[in-house]
Amino acid sequence: MPRYNILLAGVGGQGLLTLGSIIGNAAIEEGIDATIAETHGLSQRGGSLVVHVRLGDGSSPLIPHGGANLIIGLEALETLRYLNYANKDTKIVMNEFLWPPPLSKTPKLEDIIKAISSSARLYVVNANEEAKKVTGLIVTANTLILGFAYMIDKDLQSLLSEKSLEKGLERVFRGKALELNRKALKAGMELAKKTI
Amino acid sequence: MTNPLLYPKGSTVLLLGNEAIARGAIESAIGFAAAYPGTPSTEIIEALASVAKDVGFYVEWSTNEKVAFEAAYAAALCGVKSLVAMKHVGVNVAADILMSSAYAGVNAGFVVVSADDPGQHSSQNEQDNRWYGMLAHIPVIEPWSPRSAYKLIKEAFKLSEKYKHPVIFRSTTRISHTRQPVTYEDDIPKPKTKGVFDRDIKRYVLIPIHGRKLKKILMEKWHKISSEEGKPPLVEVINPGRPKAIIASGIAYAHVTEALDYLGAKDDYTILRVSLPVPLPYKPVIDVAKDAKEILVVEELDPIVEYQVKKIIQEQGLEAKVYGKEYVPTDLDLDLEKVYKAIKMFRGETPETPWKPVEVPKVEPGIPPRPPVLCPGCPHRNTFYIIKTAANKAGLKDPIYTGDIGCYTLGYNEPFKTQMTSFEMGGSIGVAHGLSKVVDEPVIAVIGDSTFYHAGIPPAINIVYNKGRAIVLVLDNYYTAMTGHQPHPGTGYTAMGEETYRVPAEKLLESMGFKTFVINPMNVKESIEKVVEAYKAYKEGEYVAIVSRMKCALQAQREARKKGIKLPAYGINEDKCRGCMVCVNLLACPAIIVPEGKKKPVILTDLCAGCGLCAQVCPFNAIEVVREGSPDWIKAWM
Ligand code: SF4
Ligand code: SF4
Repeated sequence: MPRYNILLAGVGGQGLLTLGSIIGNAAIEEGIDATIAETHGLSQRGGSLVVHVRLGDGSSPLIPHGGANLIIGLEALETLRYLNYANKDTKIVMNEFLWPPPLSKTPKLEDIIKAISSSARLYVVNANEEAKKVTGLIVTANTLILGFAYMIDKDLQSLLSEKSLEKGLERVFRGKALELNRKALKAGMELAKKTI
Repeated sequence: MTNPLLYPKGSTVLLLGNEAIARGAIESAIGFAAAYPGTPSTEIIEALASVAKDVGFYVEWSTNEKVAFEAAYAAALCGVKSLVAMKHVGVNVAADILMSSAYAGVNAGFVVVSADDPGQHSSQNEQDNRWYGMLAHIPVIEPWSPRSAYKLIKEAFKLSEKYKHPVIFRSTTRISHTRQPVTYEDDIPKPKTKGVFDRDIKRYVLIPIHGRKLKKILMEKWHKISSEEGKPPLVEVINPGRPKAIIASGIAYAHVTEALDYLGAKDDYTILRVSLPVPLPYKPVIDVAKDAKEILVVEELDPIVEYQVKKIIQEQGLEAKVYGKEYVPTDLDLDLEKVYKAIKMFRGETPETPWKPVEVPKVEPGIPPRPPVLCPGCPHRNTFYIIKTAANKAGLKDPIYTGDIGCYTLGYNEPFKTQMTSFEMGGSIGVAHGLSKVVDEPVIAVIGDSTFYHAGIPPAINIVYNKGRAIVLVLDNYYTAMTGHQPHPGTGYTAMGEETYRVPAEKLLESMGFKTFVINPMNVKESIEKVVEAYKAYKEGEYVAIVSRMKCALQAQREARKKGIKLPAYGINEDKCRGCMVCVNLLACPAIIVPEGKKKPVILTDLCAGCGLCAQVCPFNAIEVVREGSPDWIKAWM
């Protein structure tokens, strides 16, 4: 069976690695195999960053171009940059956040949204603001957007139960951070229910 | 919550390849581990350090790879199992002792982990370190996944113990930095940490008369390994007897199996899975080549297995035709797509893949590149601004800034251009000295603290000894920041978290004969004045060194969070801002952005680290504190 592929795109420092770990730990809870290919080192310093999450049997770590089932973009430019990992059936969940690289000219957020919607199924979430509303912390935006993506993606739901996802959080966070991330996950899910 | 690395046998844990290597090494009962941090190898020692006290073995961050190698090797000579880890280019630094270690051998398991970086994700090159195995006559083991790394590192220790010989364990970025569920096969044994030094002078003193004899023993071991170790789990023949075969070494095996799945061709080929590429055991290759008339060798980077396969086939007078690098790229990391295409070509088909990517739609003005940048609040930004401004003030014309390896290498970019070379660790100072002998411009060597301790000291001494005319600038942010803030001799504590003596860079430089100036780049004006003074001394013919000391912004922020200190944040007062763009153009702080279509910049408060540099630079005093820090916020930075 082909593996189920999630591409996480964003800017180094945005917490993509943690997001990948949550999904990977949820996979362990569910008893399915996974690889999560990360980027460390220099690229983490505010550079363009992707994490390849692949669920199902196999060890080849990178998603082929056109092979992503789901793309979660934590920043608009980076979502657009890696759109060639999508095929026409790929679902894309994007944070409504444009972070221009220093000293650069960037397209407008509306134009990026328009461009992506023209080639794939795009969901836009203002995760930073929503996260601040529910938890007061922008760092929980990632978990919130994960909750959203989970709710709109039936295939992902059939692979991972909601319970496993929550257990995944428990394996990554503890104490207060765990509470806040639980809240953010739920908030993302609720938001998605309202959207669809 | 105990550390998942300590979970009992039977637990399944999501481990990074490097953590998997660490757990495998712990299960092998290592008593000693050393390394110098370097992507993609760093987390091996980090993981080991995080449990060293619980398990009872010793771990250190050494000052460089050669020193780390020597320390771990010495332990293995005394019968204490040990591991040394480094990135691929780190092996270049340790190559001298590596070569000798093959002659003298070991008395306990000794594994050298080389984490290679195909694709150059965080390195200056993508050298294939399996060659080192060939060069030194040290066997190389390469895993194909994090999970196999966990299993094979244990095999590496067994092989090392069996032959009393060092073993190179070659990982790559896509293994070291991939996570996978790993189920522990063994509990953690009690390690042996004390040994005995046996004064075997004929073996340990490599003078020619001893070395020649040792070379003979070395070659005997080498031939024994290539004739006897061609069996699982190091080498495995899958589907024997097919007329076509694929030989896959290391991670290539993971790609090959998945590509064959997609092609529905799993049973069409004999697969030779190689995890011992050097020396390639010849028996399984002969077995495969007796039946297969066509063989495809798939491996990342150089054709090391391919050459050996061709040699074996030729020596045996077999007829198989061997394909390899005509289909498989020699640069960058391999992936499923590339391997799928290679197999298609091997089948004589067009290299189309089953995936249909959408095209990235065109937008105006295009997607700007996003190379890594200095973090908001990074002290290097302050220092770069200061040294350039001071050069103007002191009339230091067109300085050449030689550079080195670290976060500050990012100074190569606009708007700083304070890194004009970056070749290898410590190279800034050595190159600066040479330049200063042959050009007329002033030369400034810009080097990080950790890099200075690693390889900057001998070339700094060389400047003074050989009357060079280069300034040495040490950027001291307390940590080996780029690899994730490991401590070093200037930090004040060890890998295992113990407090220790701090070796201040300025004291070293002073004792060499440099007139040394120490600045705190958070105080911009004062620092500029001091650097001007330094440049003047330089012009007057003195040996000059500058140490710029301020904590890495990520660590300052971490410390603030930990201690409950609130850091200030800055904002731009729209009424005072005249849109001159000085802050944007001179600093390139990622927290300062110019929204599309706007004439004035804004600061993203959530991202601002509160260093205050922009406020000191703005000519109209338009940048102000918008969120007050706690009264003692400055402590977080010290
Ligand atoms: S990690 Fe530290 S040293 Fe590296 S760029 Fe960021 S602030 Fe600067
Ligand atoms: S104070 Fe200015 S320069 Fe420093 S991090 Fe904030 S925006 Fe960047």
